[in-house]
Amino acid sequence: MQFDDISEQAGISPLPTWSNGVTMQDINNDGLIDIYVSKVPMKGLFKNERHHNLLYINNGDLTFTEVSKDYGLDFSGFSTQAAFFDYDRDGDLDMYLLNHAVHSVRSYGSIKKRSEKDSISGDRFYKNMLSEGQSLFVEVTEEAQILSSPLGFGLAVTTTDINDDGWLDIYVGNDFHENDYLYINNQDGTFSESFNQYFTHTSRFTMGVDVADLNNDGALDIFTTDMMPYDAQIALKSGGEDTNKVNQIKKNLGFEAQYSRNHLQLKRPYGDYAEIGLLTGTYATDWSWSVLMQDFDNDGRNDIFISNGIEKRPNDLDYINYLSDSKFSEFVETEKNEAKKDLIANMPTLQIRNILFQNKGNLDFGTVNTSFLGSPSYTNGSAYSDLDNDGDLDLVLNNLNAPATILKNTTSEAVQSLSISLEAPITEGAKITLYQGGKKQIKEAVRVRGFQSSSTPRIHFGLGQTPADSILIRWPNGKLQWQYGPFQKFEKIAYNPTPAATETIASNAEYTLSILPFKHKENTYLDYEREQLIPEKLSLEGPAVVYEDFNGDGKKDLFFGGARYQASQLYIANKKEGYRLQDIEDFRKDDKYEDVSAAAFDADNDGDLDLYVVSGGNDFKEQDAYLMDRIYINDGKGNFARLPIFLPQTNGSVVVVNDMDGDGFQDLFVGSRSIPGAYGLSPHSFVVKNNGDLTFDPIWKNRLGMVTDAIWHNIDDDPEKELLAVGDWMPVMVLDRQADNTYQMQILPDSKAHYGLWNRILAADINQDGKEDLLLGNVGQNFKWQPSQEKPVYLYLDDFDQNEQLDPIIFYDFFGAPRPFNSKDDLGQQLPMIKKKFTSYVKFSEVENLKDLVDYKDEEVLEIKKMTDARSLLLLKSENGFQVQPLPQEAQFSSIQDFYWDPKKEQLFYFGNSNQFVTELGQQTANPGAIAKFIHDKNGFEHQEFLPLPIQINPRKIIKLDDGTFLLSSNDDYVYLIAKKIPNE
Amino acid sequence: MNKFKLLIISVLTLHFGCERDTSYLSQLQDPSLFRDAMKNLSNIVVYDIFSPPVASRVYVYPSIAAYETMRLALPDQYQSLSGQIKGLTPLPEANSDQVNYNLAALLAFNKVGKMLIFSEDRMEKFQEALDQKIRDFGVPRSVRIASENFAETVAIHIKNWADGDNYNQTRTFPKYTILDGDRFWKPTPPDYMDGIEPHWNQIRTMVLDSAGQFPPKDPLPFDLTKGSPFQKQLQQVYEVGGGLGEEELAIAKFWDCNPYVTHHRGHAMFATKKITPGGHWIGITNIVTKQAESDFGETINAFTNVSIALFDAFISCWDEKWKTLVVRPETLINKYYDEEWLPVLQTPPFPEYTSGHSVISRAAAIALTDIYGPDFRFEDTTELEYGLPARTFDSFIAASEEAAISRLYGGIHYMMAIEEGVKQGENVGKFIVNKIQTNTPLQNDLAASN
Repeated sequence: MQFDDISEQAGISPLPTWSNGVTMQDINNDGLIDIYVSKVPMKGLFKNERHHNLLYINNGDLTFTEVSKDYGLDFSGFSTQAAFFDYDRDGDLDMYLLNHAVHSVRSYGSIKKRSEKDSISGDRFYKNMLSEGQSLFVEVTEEAQILSSPLGFGLAVTTTDINDDGWLDIYVGNDFHENDYLYINNQDGTFSESFNQYFTHTSRFTMGVDVADLNNDGALDIFTTDMMPYDAQIALKSGGEDTNKVNQIKKNLGFEAQYSRNHLQLKRPYGDYAEIGLLTGTYATDWSWSVLMQDFDNDGRNDIFISNGIEKRPNDLDYINYLSDSKFSEFVETEKNEAKKDLIANMPTLQIRNILFQNKGNLDFGTVNTSFLGSPSYTNGSAYSDLDNDGDLDLVLNNLNAPATILKNTTSEAVQSLSISLEAPITEGAKITLYQGGKKQIKEAVRVRGFQSSSTPRIHFGLGQTPADSILIRWPNGKLQWQYGPFQKFEKIAYNPTPAATETIASNAEYTLSILPFKHKENTYLDYEREQLIPEKLSLEGPAVVYEDFNGDGKKDLFFGGARYQASQLYIANKKEGYRLQDIEDFRKDDKYEDVSAAAFDADNDGDLDLYVVSGGNDFKEQDAYLMDRIYINDGKGNFARLPIFLPQTNGSVVVVNDMDGDGFQDLFVGSRSIPGAYGLSPHSFVVKNNGDLTFDPIWKNRLGMVTDAIWHNIDDDPEKELLAVGDWMPVMVLDRQADNTYQMQILPDSKAHYGLWNRILAADINQDGKEDLLLGNVGQNFKWQPSQEKPVYLYLDDFDQNEQLDPIIFYDFFGAPRPFNSKDDLGQQLPMIKKKFTSYVKFSEVENLKDLVDYKDEEVLEIKKMTDARSLLLLKSENGFQVQPLPQEAQFSSIQDFYWDPKKEQLFYFGNSNQFVTELGQQTANPGAIAKFIHDKNGFEHQEFLPLPIQINPRKIIKLDDGTFLLSSNDDYVYLIAKKIPNE
Repeated sequence: MNKFKLLIISVLTLHFGCERDTSYLSQLQDPSLFRDAMKNLSNIVVYDIFSPPVASRVYVYPSIAAYETMRLALPDQYQSLSGQIKGLTPLPEANSDQVNYNLAALLAFNKVGKMLIFSEDRMEKFQEALDQKIRDFGVPRSVRIASENFAETVAIHIKNWADGDNYNQTRTFPKYTILDGDRFWKPTPPDYMDGIEPHWNQIRTMVLDSAGQFPPKDPLPFDLTKGSPFQKQLQQVYEVGGGLGEEELAIAKFWDCNPYVTHHRGHAMFATKKITPGGHWIGITNIVTKQAESDFGETINAFTNVSIALFDAFISCWDEKWKTLVVRPETLINKYYDEEWLPVLQTPPFPEYTSGHSVISRAAAIALTDIYGPDFRFEDTTELEYGLPARTFDSFIAASEEAAISRLYGGIHYMMAIEEGVKQGENVGKFIVNKIQTNTPLQNDLAASN
């Protein structure tokens, strides 16, 4: 590989002006690649020239002529990068110009600002007039409905057909608080910014973006880069996620959620995206710029290359708080260059290695610690191309303060590859599907990818050991073309559409979705403002749902528990389809209670069903009157009156019914979630005996754990049911009634290695062997905490600073190194001694355990809890105990809140998501619900399909109604009905 | 007074004179020793980024430790504060007659200061330099050890007392949850920091009966209708901010006293740090004691009175702030008038009403007036090290008036918060100077007869 620098002879400007992105594209359809350079103006610095973007037209003799002015592309402003594509299918390439704001982010403003125009930093769109017979671009930003506001801080742009309609859409990555934009091409010369319909959250400081299929499911996935360090020490001394407060403020201003980490957006069959950066371990690669997803090892799977490093690290907290210091006060007054230079000189520097995540299939990308590529550097812009035509993709990297480098790919020639050059006036945006022994791969002919760079127009497929059978090309004008093998290593394919070719679009929407009128309205209570070290809010439980016949008409009715300040509601089933709301005075009177769980039971043995309603909420103190549970007695017609008796007064979570002593009256277990104000400590849970005379006695109470769910279930040899309870920081606990009517509490032996943040337990004979198995819904693996039995997450509970307030301190394993969960600032606010002990962030970043932090030995701590498993599990009952199996990968995308098991079809319906976690952990919105099928050969589950639920909802309880419809209650949301589609509809 | 001081020195000199060089005794009378210690404490308060109310706590306990120790040498001149301020009991007696109380006062000051600040290494460095100085003075070893031991006793005594002020407990009290509605305070740009010390009214006062003893008038009812009393004051902030003269701008900046101002330049962010409003008055006290040629005792007395006034004034002011939760002008102006409008000063992270600088400046001014009189002209050079020129004032009250109005020029307060803040400070200040007496009655009589 030898290259000559011919820039000067070729007529490329030698002026040392500030250039950003470069795009290589034939913009005048003469078959020759032209060059467009995006620049920022540096008026006054160089010959007083006002710099503008440059367009070099290729003369065909290795010389270029700069004609930006003639073409109307001599924009002068803060340009980052241009992307060319034919947005109106008129046969020429139009241009999206990505610009970036230059003002400092002083205030967030509101999203209303998006409608403003900014002439030098707003993004722009230009229509190519070539097809109209003019060598000219005309600005059509407004007509095309492209946002051109001062909010946009564009650092990354790529084009891709998001909705698979054959028209290229645009993904724009914005730095800072502005959300990324997703422009869907309306096919009529306009775009619609549609972020909300596709994403629930994105990276915050988006710097690079690329689009490729990462799991070979034929759908294109999106990766954006951000700047979260993977080194625990660096992370602890750098600025990270927004505080919960700032997160809330941004939300109030209309911005969508953003997290300061890489995002891997996996496309779901319904078009929207499940973000699984945490699950795949690709979320933290430090200060990352470019991302390029190509098959670098030719194994048929796209890998992820990430360029890394910034010479000056401005988010170093010691720098911000201590090093910059007051000697720069004059800077504020005068913005003097000298002070500015000093400021920059003082910033810490750190070279970081680039990263290549090798795709091993099944979304396994290895770990960041084993994926380094090259030596430490400051690499930003990057491009791929097979420079030496040896059948694999090499990388060209731009490095700061160092020469550019080429990384030559030395992949063995034993693995095959196929490189396709498309030959047509316009190839940008073509979609290529390659069929290969029953499998397929897809690629888009898009060259602007990553960060400020454009790569080769050649389409590269790695084939592994299997040759390609056929190729389907969808040209940018929508025409299809089949090509059949055998293929050479390098193929040129000229435009020659196959007549009458059609693409089959698989539709798997087997279910339809509708909405019931009951809407759960969660009250605003921010638990972390009272307990600032906690990882989760405990005030987002409910609504309770009960589906029973309350008026004895043979039709089941629906009870919904209200959140605080919302009355519970009873819907009586009509004679025909539908329900009518029953007015119940005592429900209205009790609207201040938060009804998190409820059970129907015959309290007085009069033949109708009464209600036990569990009161919850983390906002009132324990023993508050509004935490008292309630029993409502039914008059047989569905009219309820509250029974005036004393019942448990805790932040409750669950009630389950069972006549445990066989006296003919149904007794209750009532589980409790927390002691409000003392996160981590176990509240009392209760066994409540029904005396049969409308009196109830709590005959057992104990600090069982932070209970979320429980079932009565017989797991031993005696005929009596035991009580199984799960919850946060718990294994499965078993409560067994002894002969003397006392209760023995113990850990289910097979769950000893599985302390989780459990939400749900269900017993069912899954493998149909006559023995009931257990299903356990956990927080899932798309989570920052990835504990194991060897490396648990520890929750230390004590009053470490002796101020009569519990301090919950968490340590977890962060890419192989133990680190405190809370930042120095958060810890210092609750425990001022932290500020005294760690007078710098560097010192704090060396903390590895509790002793380092607060001088407590483990054995001195009041209580230590742990979490050793984040996965949702299947526990298969066998002769000697339970055999533990994780649910499929898709079931680990999000937390699981409820299950429904269909024994006939051997299908497991599961539902999840949660907004309960603090910003540092992030919202869980990657899988609201799906079906897994039990496979007897594997003795385990396989993913079957996602359900067509809005991706952001927070389901809590699933109930199968008698007509076969599923009813899904959601926190702070409607009640959804999921019905199976009638075939041929 | 001078005669009295001479007498004490000669008595001490007589006592040791026969055996040793006692020149150190006069060197230990140098009030700049204490001023330097106070300046060092102030520097650490800036470095460690204490918020204004917490900073007032860091100033007051070391000052009282020094005062209570110092006065043991001059019991006829200065009365103990025990019995005058809440919870303070008399110091234990020294178990050695070798103690030099001036030296012990300095040591106790640093010890208590070290307990309250974060960057202990900075205090240690200062203490090491002081130790060297003391040795250079020729202070005998026995005196040094005895003074050190007694200073330790004092520090523990003061620490135990300070521990009862509810500071540690309030660390875990709830944060402020943003309330809907335009009238309520919201975090402000650029960092939208959490509200500072929403429960500071639960800190034990020194002299005031309670945090709410001097409630200001209710703030003007929130009303954005053009021409309403509230809207007029909002409009005033908006307009004043747009047309500041050079002098007004200088005044605003001079009294900024924001301990932590962040600056954003693209991704780059850094903070500039300054003394707090209370720290500024500590600085003024420094200047004044020097100008008045106050002796060692009077210097400590002045700082102690000022820091007590500041401490209670902050509690009084914070009580009102977090009760009324008035929104900052910046929030409303950005939302309703001009999204780009920027106050001259960065809006500090707590509710608007009343103005903290107005309250505490007036209280401190009254404390200083009580000692140095109503016509004390001085040049305030406190802000020189932060790049701001000196300003001259004819009296402490005049300085406090300027500090108050500076908040309007700075674009961070309505006039009501300034006017009512000054009144609140006046009430607090007067109550304190009437209630606590540091000079013994005899001294007061002498001062009166001079």
